[in-house]
Amino acid sequence: MTFLSREATIARPGFSRWLVPPAAISVHICIGEVYGFSVFNVPLTQAGAGWTIPQVGWVYSIALVMLGMSAAVFGKWVDRGGPRKTMVVSCVCFCGGLLISALGVKLKSLWMVYLGYGFLGGIGLGLGYISPVSTLIKWFPDRPGMATGMAIMGFGGGALIGAPLGVRLMDQFKSTTSVGVAEAFLVMSILYAISMLFGASLVRVPPEDWKPDGWEPGPHGQPMMTNARIGVDRAWKTPQFWCLWMVLCMNVSAGIGILGQASKMCSDMFGVSPAVGGGFAGLLSIFNMGGRFFWSSISDHTGRKTVYSIYFLFGAILYCAVPWTQSTQNKTLFVVVTAIIITMYGGGFATIPAYLRDLFGTYQIGAIHGRLITAWSVAAIVGPSLVNYISTAKIEAGVPHAEAYNSTMYLMAGLLVIGLVANLLVQPVDAKYRITESPKDQEK
Amino acid sequence: MKNKILLAIAWAWVTIPLGWGVYQSLQKSMPLFFDR
Repeated sequence: MTFLSREATIARPGFSRWLVPPAAISVHICIGEVYGFSVFNVPLTQAGAGWTIPQVGWVYSIALVMLGMSAAVFGKWVDRGGPRKTMVVSCVCFCGGLLISALGVKLKSLWMVYLGYGFLGGIGLGLGYISPVSTLIKWFPDRPGMATGMAIMGFGGGALIGAPLGVRLMDQFKSTTSVGVAEAFLVMSILYAISMLFGASLVRVPPEDWKPDGWEPGPHGQPMMTNARIGVDRAWKTPQFWCLWMVLCMNVSAGIGILGQASKMCSDMFGVSPAVGGGFAGLLSIFNMGGRFFWSSISDHTGRKTVYSIYFLFGAILYCAVPWTQSTQNKTLFVVVTAIIITMYGGGFATIPAYLRDLFGTYQIGAIHGRLITAWSVAAIVGPSLVNYISTAKIEAGVPHAEAYNSTMYLMAGLLVIGLVANLLVQPVDAKYRITESPKDQEK
Repeated sequence: MKNKILLAIAWAWVTIPLGWGVYQSLQKSMPLFFDR
């Protein structure tokens, strides 16, 4: 298996580092399909097995929980094994999970779908998500935000591709005896395997001590950046790690508050048709993707702490402005405000790896990022629960549908203020956490 | 030369599906601008 080893992926002289971002995106546009999984919910309930929407909804939840858990548990192995091996294992898990789910739909076994797409596919998501991060940061020490932003933008774009692809495949394979879900899963697993393996074959790690022509490491213009090596076992004992955990958790919780109910919120607040509400959700997906690249690239110039302060401060103001756009019934302003909010939500996801690199260095950055992703799993459960609980309670208390979201928006602004405080508390990591021995000594 | 061809293929590999996805989303969002 030498082809998969880290040593086999060391780039030869003349290799262009600009091949690494498409390698990473090839993987991320596949695993990002999980964001579009909801297109399968209704067809799965019509598959003839008597499954309900809440039962089917667990597939997505299990996948997201496994994403966080696998990234946290296997992060060290990812850093040790290298990007190619991780991408191939991620491909086997994610595409294998789709295949098992296809079989589960055919055999009308919901447990097989849970096991396939949820459990195994979720592990593939976690491994695939963190697999290119440390490699990209090492290839682009001069622009780590932009580099990781490109990969994570691919994850956001995965939903834009996966959802319409799934719908088209189901339409293609629909018959009197099948809703086409199993066949769609089968074809998608093949297409995604081709793309992920293409990415795995393309990826390379830089030789030891490689740096871009004309670029010299440190002293950095930004005091937060370090060239020190801090391992994952020490990193997660630092207050900085938990500040960033809170930063990510608050950013994601608040963003999901809008993304998760965009269609219904637009319909309720402005009395528009479900088609218009769906159009609004589609538009937000594009801004979610674009924001990942835009803001993370900006962070290379402003510094990570500044850009997160902008997300939280400006974001909180914009959340508070949403109820005002509703009261004035200014739909255009509503779309503009929410679109900017969502760019910053995506930017928060994409800028985190570079923030971690600044604080902890590149040593075990993949593993540290993996542990931090547990904040996403928590937010994916906490965020929607908060929003649903509050809006339902308001409606039951007699508040008109159009105004039921106001409290939610103020709550989201409050979450962003907590995130802002956590971000402002981030300081350079104490020297006592730095590793002084060589990486080889560490492995002994 | 070989490197440049590989670069072009690699970037086309990801930008074509991403462009298709953005186009699909834009189409989906059309009612937002033209429906009442």
